[in-house]
Amino acid sequence: MRIAADTGGTFTDLVVERGHQVQAYKASTTPQDPASGILDALALAAEDAGESVAALLAQVTVFIHATTRAINAILTESTARTALLCTRGHPDMLLLREGGRREPFDWRHGYPDPYIPRSLTFEIAERIGAAGEVVQELDEAAVLRVIGTLRELRVEAVAVCLLWSIANPAHELRLGELLEEHLPGVPFTLSHALNPTLREYRRASSAAIDASLKPLMTAYLRGLEERLRGAGFSGRLLIVTSSGGLLDAHEVAAAPIHSISSGPSMAPVAGRRYAAIEAMSDNAVIADTGGTSYDVALVRGGRLPMTRETWLGVEYEGHITGFPAVDVRSVGAGGGSIAWIDPGGLLHVGPQSAGADPGPVCYGRGGSEPTVTDACLVLGWIDPDYFLGGKMPLDLQAAHEAIERRIALPIGLDVQEAAAAIMAVVTERMVQAIEEITINQGVDPRSAVLVGGGGAAGLNAVAIARRLGCPKVIIPQAGAVLSARGALMSDLVAEYSAALFTATDAFDYERAEETLSRLRERCTTFASRSGSVGPPEIHYIAEARYRHQVWQLDLPLRSGRLEDAPSVATLVEDFHCLHEEVYAVRDEQAIVELVNVRARVSCPMGRDELDAPLAEPHDPCRRSRLVYFSGPGAVQADILNLEAMAIGEIVGGPAIIESSFTTVVLNPGASAERTSSGSLLITPLPAGRPEPSAASAEAGS
Amino acid sequence: MGAPASSAHPARDVVSLAVMTNRMEGVVRKMTNTLFRTARSTVLNTARDFSCCVITAKHELLVMGESLPIHVISGPDMISRWLTRLHPRLSRGDAFLHNSPYHGNSHAGDHCIVVPVIDDEGTHRATALVKAHMADIGNAEPTTLTATVRDVYQEGALIFPCVKIQEAYRDIEDVIRICQARIRVPEDWYGDYIGMIGAARVGERELLKVADEVGWDTFERYVADWLDYSEERMRATIRSLPAGRRTGWETHDPVPLPGLEHGVRLQVTVEIDPQAGEIEVDLRENPDCLPCGLNLTESTSHTSALIGVFNSIGEVVPRNSGSERAVRVLTRENCCVGTPVHPFSCSMATSGLAERLASTVQRTIAEFGDGLGMAATGPECPPAVAGLSGRDPRHSDAPFVDMMILGNSGGAGHARGDGWMVNGEASDGGSMMRDSTEVLELLRPIRVWVDRIVPDTEGAGRHRGAPSLYVEYGPVGTELEVMYAADGTVNPALGARGGLPGAPVRPFLRSADGQVRQLGAWGHVVLESGETIISVSSAGGGYGPPWERDPDVVRRDVAEGWISPARATAVYGVVFDSAGAVDPVATARRRARLAAGEPIPEPADDPVLRAIAPGEPIPGAASQD
Repeated sequence: MRIAADTGGTFTDLVVERGHQVQAYKASTTPQDPASGILDALALAAEDAGESVAALLAQVTVFIHATTRAINAILTESTARTALLCTRGHPDMLLLREGGRREPFDWRHGYPDPYIPRSLTFEIAERIGAAGEVVQELDEAAVLRVIGTLRELRVEAVAVCLLWSIANPAHELRLGELLEEHLPGVPFTLSHALNPTLREYRRASSAAIDASLKPLMTAYLRGLEERLRGAGFSGRLLIVTSSGGLLDAHEVAAAPIHSISSGPSMAPVAGRRYAAIEAMSDNAVIADTGGTSYDVALVRGGRLPMTRETWLGVEYEGHITGFPAVDVRSVGAGGGSIAWIDPGGLLHVGPQSAGADPGPVCYGRGGSEPTVTDACLVLGWIDPDYFLGGKMPLDLQAAHEAIERRIALPIGLDVQEAAAAIMAVVTERMVQAIEEITINQGVDPRSAVLVGGGGAAGLNAVAIARRLGCPKVIIPQAGAVLSARGALMSDLVAEYSAALFTATDAFDYERAEETLSRLRERCTTFASRSGSVGPPEIHYIAEARYRHQVWQLDLPLRSGRLEDAPSVATLVEDFHCLHEEVYAVRDEQAIVELVNVRARVSCPMGRDELDAPLAEPHDPCRRSRLVYFSGPGAVQADILNLEAMAIGEIVGGPAIIESSFTTVVLNPGASAERTSSGSLLITPLPAGRPEPSAASAEAGS
Repeated sequence: MGAPASSAHPARDVVSLAVMTNRMEGVVRKMTNTLFRTARSTVLNTARDFSCCVITAKHELLVMGESLPIHVISGPDMISRWLTRLHPRLSRGDAFLHNSPYHGNSHAGDHCIVVPVIDDEGTHRATALVKAHMADIGNAEPTTLTATVRDVYQEGALIFPCVKIQEAYRDIEDVIRICQARIRVPEDWYGDYIGMIGAARVGERELLKVADEVGWDTFERYVADWLDYSEERMRATIRSLPAGRRTGWETHDPVPLPGLEHGVRLQVTVEIDPQAGEIEVDLRENPDCLPCGLNLTESTSHTSALIGVFNSIGEVVPRNSGSERAVRVLTRENCCVGTPVHPFSCSMATSGLAERLASTVQRTIAEFGDGLGMAATGPECPPAVAGLSGRDPRHSDAPFVDMMILGNSGGAGHARGDGWMVNGEASDGGSMMRDSTEVLELLRPIRVWVDRIVPDTEGAGRHRGAPSLYVEYGPVGTELEVMYAADGTVNPALGARGGLPGAPVRPFLRSADGQVRQLGAWGHVVLESGETIISVSSAGGGYGPPWERDPDVVRRDVAEGWISPARATAVYGVVFDSAGAVDPVATARRRARLAAGEPIPEPADDPVLRAIAPGEPIPGAASQD
């Protein structure tokens, strides 16, 4: 038996996999002690199975955990007291960042602080040059003096980032030895070892964030493991990483920056699988709707999207992780997003959120600003008596009044039109987020299926799909716990990177082959110890660019070899095509340079097939109620229970399909089929009806 | 906040307005991403000294994304007008190269690629414009910024007034060859050029896609609504400002040319009319065009005045031709901050006087009342913002020319906070990125030894300016030609409302034997291997009297090394006890004396010389004492 637990901001999602049966549970997250939220959810699962938690845990071979512990510590500024050691002359890397601002005339706040204060930043006399040459020897006596100061200042962690340590790590390594010897017990991170990337700010920021998380994450993961073992668990504890894979808990404790997006990274893993099996598509947009944010990712050609640029906070002004992660873009739009009118009379939704507390007005916990959830309630999309399976009654009247007062009256609409306008604006923000990740990468959203995860996904998934022209929408049976479900689907993954600086005007075949074979060997070694249940897969990526460009494109290396002229010729042609696809131009005359090569090994840990459907007795008497849609207005809509739908049953809109954790809105004209794995496969527009944008695009060509 | 604007904007429009605005921002983001990722020169691919925007068929700026204000607030509208005047018949697939300072552009160093977006019937519907500060444009000297030239002939710029460079989506090779025959390192120029073409074409493609979906009529209705909405927002903001008319002055540093020995004094008169919701900025009482490279262009004169206004009003309103309708900028022909006359040179039209003008406007508005305006932004272009050229011994002595953008700080203290640390020029508002030491050292045969802030240089104030940045660099195993044109070595960035000025720009040269000597403001230096150039940028001015700064924040500034304890007491009036805590009684006493006008004592030593530490040898830079 395998279990995955995803600790989110509001809920701890747990999925229990017994054979092909997967059951979901939700317990409230306990921020002070996340492990007890997990144990609460385990208690629900045990109760459901009619056994004790110990008996349940005794059967578990693999326990997978996705955690927001690291990101929360950063957001609440409760990370370790961390020092930065840097090359002399360059102490302000973390302060100056890379420049840039999104809004040049926004003077509502001052300049943001560096991740590590200047008072805990220490310059080390040493210098390596761009070719890895030692320009100035490391002054060890001075280092020992600095270490003495660190001790006096009771520093809890140390980040080390020296210039050009990627070209020659000798000085960083020596600093590590000296720290180990003279500051025992204080964890440190060496930038070249953690993230061997060009651009000192990025490497320094990676190392700083990582080091600052070490004391906390080591203690958290050790504590969690002890609690689980104490409750009867004797299997293997794996942690979800930002790059969409799994790592053993002790490896995450050694490099906790990998757990920053633990959680969001799993939705695309699940969505990819659902898209492939339910809709036979390898292009998918995975959208996870939470209370405060809308996380989107694009799976293209069946591959998870990766980025090296993830920022904590606002781009340019926050802190870059400098680390590859599943490219999940987040916009402040979700069930709790607040609708407001600006002084010019323009309607906005988000990015402010009512969060879980006080939450939307209809929660009746003191929220006074209307949210997306309130709008759905007013439109009749959500049943006030069947929210979370009826566990939480909602206050329709209060939602109605809030929308009337704050939105409808100021812009002169009636309340339902105002609620529909809120949904139109939030839908457009979500569409923009998706377009940015699709069109920007040359992918037409009309070729992708939309996979909706999160409890609020179904509310406007049809509207989003129509706007984008997506032919199909999937709402997985486990959609409300998509990330936790993804954790059960994900592989044990390691990624290795090595510098390979060569160019097509004088290609260094020998070095390329040597570098690639070293990566291959590391991948094979990892796979042999992984406990993989199937054949491991290795993918190779070359980071390539035209000469004098400084940003690389990730170019898949088809064969993983660069041994002769034909394989390099293929690489060059592939690069021209990729460049043209992404940036609309190619430069046939230019020399192509490689900077890095990466290899990613994935070892499957679970079964490939989807779940068996959850079934409840078929409900013969259909309910219906009045539901409002922009356009037709109020219409009578069928109300169905998802789990009571028969496999293969097709429902036409207008209809509302409910389950304990989610509500799916089928607009008039849409239809949905329950698939053999219990999910909903939705066709947003009736067959044969021309999709407006597709039709005009044809006319234009 | 007054009456809701629902009467002006029927409900449906409000929704589609929000929807379309998000889409248009998306178009410009895609354009920007394309050039940033594909360009060959660090000035574009790292410092992001370029802009992308969309202009309507009626020549209005519609959306500017994260562009540099000085490039686009005003200018692209004028270029669009010139385009249709010079080329009455436009076809899909056309692209134009434009850089003429006499036809709506900024300085000639900013090349524009202008792509008219043509509908299926052949009607011009909008224009996608990319404007990029090129590493080189074939000037007489390897720099795009020179103050010390008589005219455009001595500047040596090739001028392209809307010259067609693509037809039916293919290069017009004649024009490409002209550029390649004149612009230094033609391969890199061509790489940057196709990046610009890619960005403009991405904009064109995206706009056509929008029109395919919603139709051009809806698009044009949206344009009208959005510009009206922006205008209304701007007017509403101005209505909340105090009425009045004030005049302010500021002086640009001297330039070593006849007639410019005393610098250039600018005068700006700002009139705020809250009832009409309008601001007027009068620039007409200023000198005629000058026989040097400092003249602004028609676009940068207007833009600089607008930047000063946008910086000052305390609200974020959309920046486009709609909001600009509420600001009238009065200029005249043949004026150094008006419309230039050929052949006067406008080589420095995006910095120099442009920054002084914006700063004067924001300082003048600050005098209308507390909470408005801002101090002066640090005048820029110290030696770490410079044209670099030479040959790279690591690549068989291949020639290179590039623009380094590393050593700017300059953010001015403002009504609600301290100066932006990496603001750069007033004209960028911090939109520009900065170089990375490692990227510079990888691409060019140089080493950046130091890149740090200089404590005690900030313009002190209730909200302090950003301190100076100290950057020291030099060539490795070769010579390096460095050209810079620094304003602010004589006249620093002034404070506002009792704030103090920031430290001036200071250029130095450290020779191979370790001797440090001061350099001039208008530098053309060839560094030998082992020599380094030291660039100290100007700090931003402070806002409000320094003795009004929260003592706890001053204590934090001391703890974090922004200012010394001595300066905290002398200038900010904060006295610490022996444990380093603020002594409230002594602080109140000291502050009362400062407020009563007691002069601030001179510091015991020069913070810049302290930072340069002449005693400290720079390793590798040959033998030192």
